[in-house]
Amino acid sequence: MSTRPPLFLLTGTIILIIAFLTGIAYLIIESLNTREGWGLGNFTYFFSRADYVRVLIRTIEISIMATIFSAMIGYPIAYAIANYQGNRNFLMILIITPWLVSVVVRTYGWIVILGPKGTLNSFLMSTGMITTPFRLLFNEVGVVIGLVHVFCPFFIISVLSVLLYIDTSLKEASQTLAAGPIETFFKVTLPLSMPGVLTGAILVYLLSTGAIVTPLLLGGVRDGMLATQIYQDVLQVFDYPKAASMAIVLLLTAFALVIPVQMLERRVAARTSGRGV
Amino acid sequence: MRIIRWFILFILFAFMPLPLIVVAISSVSKSGYFTIPLAELSWRWYIEFLTDAEWLHLLLVSAVIAVIVSIISTTAALFSALVLYRRRVVGRGLIETLIMLPLVFPNAALGVAFLGLLGLLGAQGTYLGIVLAHCIIALPFAYRPILNSLRKLDPAFEEASMSLGATPGTVLRTVTLPMLRPGLVSAFLFCFIISFDEATITIFLIAPDVTTLPVRILTVIQESASPVIAAIATFLVLFTLAMVMLLERTTGLEMFAAPERK
Repeated sequence: MSTRPPLFLLTGTIILIIAFLTGIAYLIIESLNTREGWGLGNFTYFFSRADYVRVLIRTIEISIMATIFSAMIGYPIAYAIANYQGNRNFLMILIITPWLVSVVVRTYGWIVILGPKGTLNSFLMSTGMITTPFRLLFNEVGVVIGLVHVFCPFFIISVLSVLLYIDTSLKEASQTLAAGPIETFFKVTLPLSMPGVLTGAILVYLLSTGAIVTPLLLGGVRDGMLATQIYQDVLQVFDYPKAASMAIVLLLTAFALVIPVQMLERRVAARTSGRGV
Repeated sequence: MRIIRWFILFILFAFMPLPLIVVAISSVSKSGYFTIPLAELSWRWYIEFLTDAEWLHLLLVSAVIAVIVSIISTTAALFSALVLYRRRVVGRGLIETLIMLPLVFPNAALGVAFLGLLGLLGAQGTYLGIVLAHCIIALPFAYRPILNSLRKLDPAFEEASMSLGATPGTVLRTVTLPMLRPGLVSAFLFCFIISFDEATITIFLIAPDVTTLPVRILTVIQESASPVIAAIATFLVLFTLAMVMLLERTTGLEMFAAPERK
């Protein structure tokens, strides 16, 4: 005998899924809708405009930079949490609370810190180290700092979910075989944590390409990203097919780098789980 | 050597909380900025926030939207997890993939897609439309914790209850739901936070008189950067901290780093 919940309970979820798929389907169809009928006109127009292509390239550059810096900051944090012997909850609160605070609030924090009259510049000027404030806002530096802060926790969590469950006997075995802590890290821990690193990197990259709030508030007028370009175009001239085609370019940009990394991840996962060795 | 290591760790762990702490300090300074040396202390920005009917109205609006979204998404996630894991359903994997799918779409693309969807439904620039969009993006965050709880739940408890003559409704109410409580609570809190904080997608769905608290904060920062934002931001930080403490009590924070079991 077993409890068999009736199928109609799926209704809510199915409605939400259908709504989502309808939105995506409509996006794809409308991206092919041009003034001269159906076709790829919106896309050829996008790539014929040098300023749009520059924005696209900048989007990829900034997203990759945000991913690299997130890894450089996130990995040591995850490693420190995983190896902490005491109560990890305090360290988790330090990471998770900022992660769950709204991105507009966190971005405002960076404006207060990095602005021309902000904390950092006022401190440096009061010590006499500089006389004119550093330009840390309204350029790519500000955007990358902001994006790393917003998305780094995704990297930390991904790596942590692997590091916390690595069999400690493997590290012990390595040390029994006379490997030092550094050698153990590079030959055992780091390779075993690669699936988490790749998942985290994919997430940070994907989310960075689609970010609007951070580049809008911390970036300059001249260094927008594709997402802010879409937003500004929608706001100024409501041309849905054009916005849809740009959203598709954004989707392809995001997935074009993600799919190869995901294939790499499968191979790494197969090796670290012992099947490929 | 040891001191250097502690120093590096301190810097790394300070990076995440840093902007929140700076905002909190700037919110009680008279200039609204955290400058060094410190400016005079003052509550003026809090008074401005708490006496402004528009901010209080938006706070209420965002909270109501978030509660509605949490109820819908948590219920939908609970019911579908029950069906998918308590009976053989063709296409279970497909349904789960579709639930999780919005997570891997760049937010700006989702914003444009939802804008089109709401246009089709005639719900553009309405709170109903914002609720629908939030439900879709919150659903995966509700599904995961509920599923994790459900997997830990031994069906023998439900079977025992049924064999003692309880109806399916009674079993659900007195056995299943109480045992799923940690998962349900974290699903609800998660959905609330996702909806309450969302700005990137919502920014596409607003109308002149239909907006949410985070979107309004965003436009005020763009227009004037009034330091009243610092007071509101600090309020939101303290609120989130309370939610995280609550999550720690109910499920523990290590559930964030729970490995995916297949």
